[in-house]
Amino acid sequence: MTVLLTVENLTQRFGGLVAVDNVSLDVEEGSIFSLIGPNGAGKTTLFNLVSAIFPPSEGKIMFGERALHKAHTHQLAEFGIGRTFQNLAVFHHATVVQNLLVGLHHQLKANILTAPFFWGRPRDEEIKARRRVEEIIDFLEIEHLRDLPVGQLSYGLQKRVELGRALAIAPRLLLLDEMVSGMNAEETEDIARFILDIRDEFGITVMMVEHDMGVVMDISDRIAVLDRGQLICVGEPGEVSQNPDVINAYLGKK
Amino acid sequence: MRTGNHIESYPRHISLSDNPVVWFWLVALMAAMIVLPAFSGLFVLGLAIRILIAAVGAIGLNLLTGSTGQISLGQSGFLAAGCYTTGLLIADYNWPPELALPMSGIVAAALSFLVGIPSLRLKGLYLAITTLAFSFIITQFLLFAEPITHGPYGVRIEDTVLFGFDLADPTTMYYFCLGILVLVTLGVLNIMRTRVGRAFNAIRDQDIAARAMGINLTTYKLTAFAASSFIVGLAGGLMAFQFRFINVDIFSVTLAIEALAMIIVGGLGSVAGAIIGAAFIILLPEFVGDAIGLLPAGISDVLARGALEIKGLLIGLVIILTLRLEPDGLIGVWRNLKRYWSRWPLSV
Ligand SMILES: Nc1ncnc2c1ncn2[C@@H]1O[C@H](COP(=O)(O)OP(=O)(O)OP(=O)(O)O)[C@@H](O)[C@H]1O
Ligand SMILES: [Mg+2]
Repeated sequence: MTVLLTVENLTQRFGGLVAVDNVSLDVEEGSIFSLIGPNGAGKTTLFNLVSAIFPPSEGKIMFGERALHKAHTHQLAEFGIGRTFQNLAVFHHATVVQNLLVGLHHQLKANILTAPFFWGRPRDEEIKARRRVEEIIDFLEIEHLRDLPVGQLSYGLQKRVELGRALAIAPRLLLLDEMVSGMNAEETEDIARFILDIRDEFGITVMMVEHDMGVVMDISDRIAVLDRGQLICVGEPGEVSQNPDVINAYLGKK
Repeated sequence: MRTGNHIESYPRHISLSDNPVVWFWLVALMAAMIVLPAFSGLFVLGLAIRILIAAVGAIGLNLLTGSTGQISLGQSGFLAAGCYTTGLLIADYNWPPELALPMSGIVAAALSFLVGIPSLRLKGLYLAITTLAFSFIITQFLLFAEPITHGPYGVRIEDTVLFGFDLADPTTMYYFCLGILVLVTLGVLNIMRTRVGRAFNAIRDQDIAARAMGINLTTYKLTAFAASSFIVGLAGGLMAFQFRFINVDIFSVTLAIEALAMIIVGGLGSVAGAIIGAAFIILLPEFVGDAIGLLPAGISDVLARGALEIKGLLIGLVIILTLRLEPDGLIGVWRNLKRYWSRWPLSV
């Protein structure tokens, strides 16, 4: 197995607060890697660092040859990293199709000089893009929602659209921040199935932050546990659920 | 055709509209626009020309403010830059009008970087104020750089012949402006159905998500500024042929407010909305003026003396009413009606 993502001595400070504290971990290609921990543990911050939303205070993040700690957010799609956001960041007024098309941005070529004269290359690429979007729509079973503004959909379906938009990037690594929070049991089950299919059918490595322990234990290959910014344990689901530090971090507070 | 949830033809799905009713009305509208000069006097034709030019300018502003979410009060500045470029190139440098007009767009687009680059870190009100300041700088420059711009004396344009058509003739001017409006409309509609247009909307709605989708904010914001200003510059160039004697006084802040009113009333982000809004805002004072004329002589005299103030008041009122009652503007009203009728009688 090859390592796809390497995090080395990563630290992020916000003023006096150390949100991520000297974290090192490896994510293997083709695995489902979960990041868990209590509220405020620094999970989303770690995701933001990996997706170059801001540069880390210290440390390195390598994605193959790419140094993510020095990258710009907009380069990530091209590198092959797609993500969803904890607080849903879909384009509310746009339809499902339009949302997914945005994910294809870096694979298209139209620019301000060619776009006004649509008929020709921009049109051909739009037709191709439309086809690709249709495949994702089929995969996520949202054919009937295709032309609806995303803002009109239920929370669970909006999350599904956001997943589709991240898939449109054609990522090698997919970062999912709390996909199933706020979903009912059936929606949660659908998402778990999609995540497995994404890995098995498309060979995409999945890194996810999740509070739903059922999903985490069921589908993860490896789990990392963060507590107050520190990595307290990494391992397979069986090991992690037995780890005294983990039990303490979760139960000690509640 | 759409059959249930399946798509049979992708080209059809990315066409501007796959609705035959829409196409029918478009053709009918174009036909009406083409025969208009045959049935209308000079006054109506003049009004129509004003609407066409305003519509071009509104489409330009809408691309930046409506589609990309960057509020601009700099419209007067870009119109002035376009207008003076055409005017000065023709009057002082003997440029052929065919080249002077596109140059208006290019100069305005180049100037847009002056305001676009400092604006990269600004949002909302701060951006609005920056663009307003830009506008003042442009008009002050035009006023004081007398050796280049004729300063307070204005510029007279004698050569108004493009491709053998003399734009001093109102009918010719009308058709020319109509042609430009059609081209600009098609161009912008096309932009909006490619990745460029989607990037504009993405920046407006969710800038962090836009970046995570691979959209370079710097590039696309500057692109939006440049494309928008190019179009507004063209509208300014057309104004040079409309007035044939140009002066800085034309380009007051009121013009920028009117332009904003057009795109708000029409419906932010909609090309059709910008055109409808332009017509509405140009025609509104005319209709109200007529209505005032019908009032008893005493009252109508008083009101006529305050015509400018009344116009400003009306525009403010219309903006507030739109935002209050139908934030999607007139185009939103139209969409609702269309939905209502296509579902009737189930829609009650
Ligand atoms: N941009 C920021 N500026 C300042 N503080 C921040 C910022 N982002 C996160 N924090 C702080 O860093 C800590 C870790 O936050 P983070 O969002 O990473 O936690 P989390 O593990 O994702 O929690 P949750 O499970 O609630 O989503 C919190 O104390 C939070 O308040
Ligand atoms: Mg979080």
